[in-house]
Amino acid sequence: MFEAWKKYLKKGGGKKEEILAPVEGLAVPLSEVKDPAFSQEILGKGMAIIPSKGRIVAPVSGVLSVMFETMHAVSITADNGAEVMIHVGLDTVQLKGEGFQSFKKQGERVKEGELLLEFDLEGIQAKGYDLITPVIILNTMEYPDMKCHVGKQIMELEPIIEL
Amino acid sequence: MKEYRYVVEDPMGLHARPASVIFIEAGKYTCSIEADWNLQKADCKSLLAIMGLGAKKGDEVIFRFEGEDEDAAYYAIRSVLDKK
Repeated sequence: MFEAWKKYLKKGGGKKEEILAPVEGLAVPLSEVKDPAFSQEILGKGMAIIPSKGRIVAPVSGVLSVMFETMHAVSITADNGAEVMIHVGLDTVQLKGEGFQSFKKQGERVKEGELLLEFDLEGIQAKGYDLITPVIILNTMEYPDMKCHVGKQIMELEPIIEL
Repeated sequence: MKEYRYVVEDPMGLHARPASVIFIEAGKYTCSIEADWNLQKADCKSLLAIMGLGAKKGDEVIFRFEGEDEDAAYYAIRSVLDKK
């Protein structure tokens, strides 16, 4: 009972925390990602977005805890403790940053909705890359009741995950 | 305490995939496993921490194991790293 109470307090009195869509596109379950590191939830639970626009915005306010030099993936540690990773496309690490542009540096504070990355959607696709973008909660264990909203077209900053 | 010095071989550094391999292996042991590079320390039981190190090809990362099963953890992490 005590544990349940602690959890309740941690969640800000039962209020659900929301993760917003970092990119516009089609929201799909992680199982549809053709990479077992994501589809088997090895990195954590979450969902994926098939992007229809080449820009990634901050899905929560917090600290930009990872910005890979290759700019293909970022992670934000939210003020509430959630570790959100956005991985733009599969095997896009191989592009070495080509077609990506970053607007924030690792360690910087970011506000919900702030522009983090832009990428050349058509150019990267033309090179044969799958641009499906998993949005993962890395510290999944702390959120056993996590819910994802998938199976629909979403706009930037629409709620996609409830913690 | 056991220590393993590892030079990053992946041309893209410790990006999501190699970091996740370390993270998964580290989660199987109770001892503390820390990766140090460039005055930063990362708890290997946090995927975010490993990726946040930003270690690149050619960088030497020092893994430190401390606790009851440190020997087993040391060999396990070594074997997954050397496989890469």
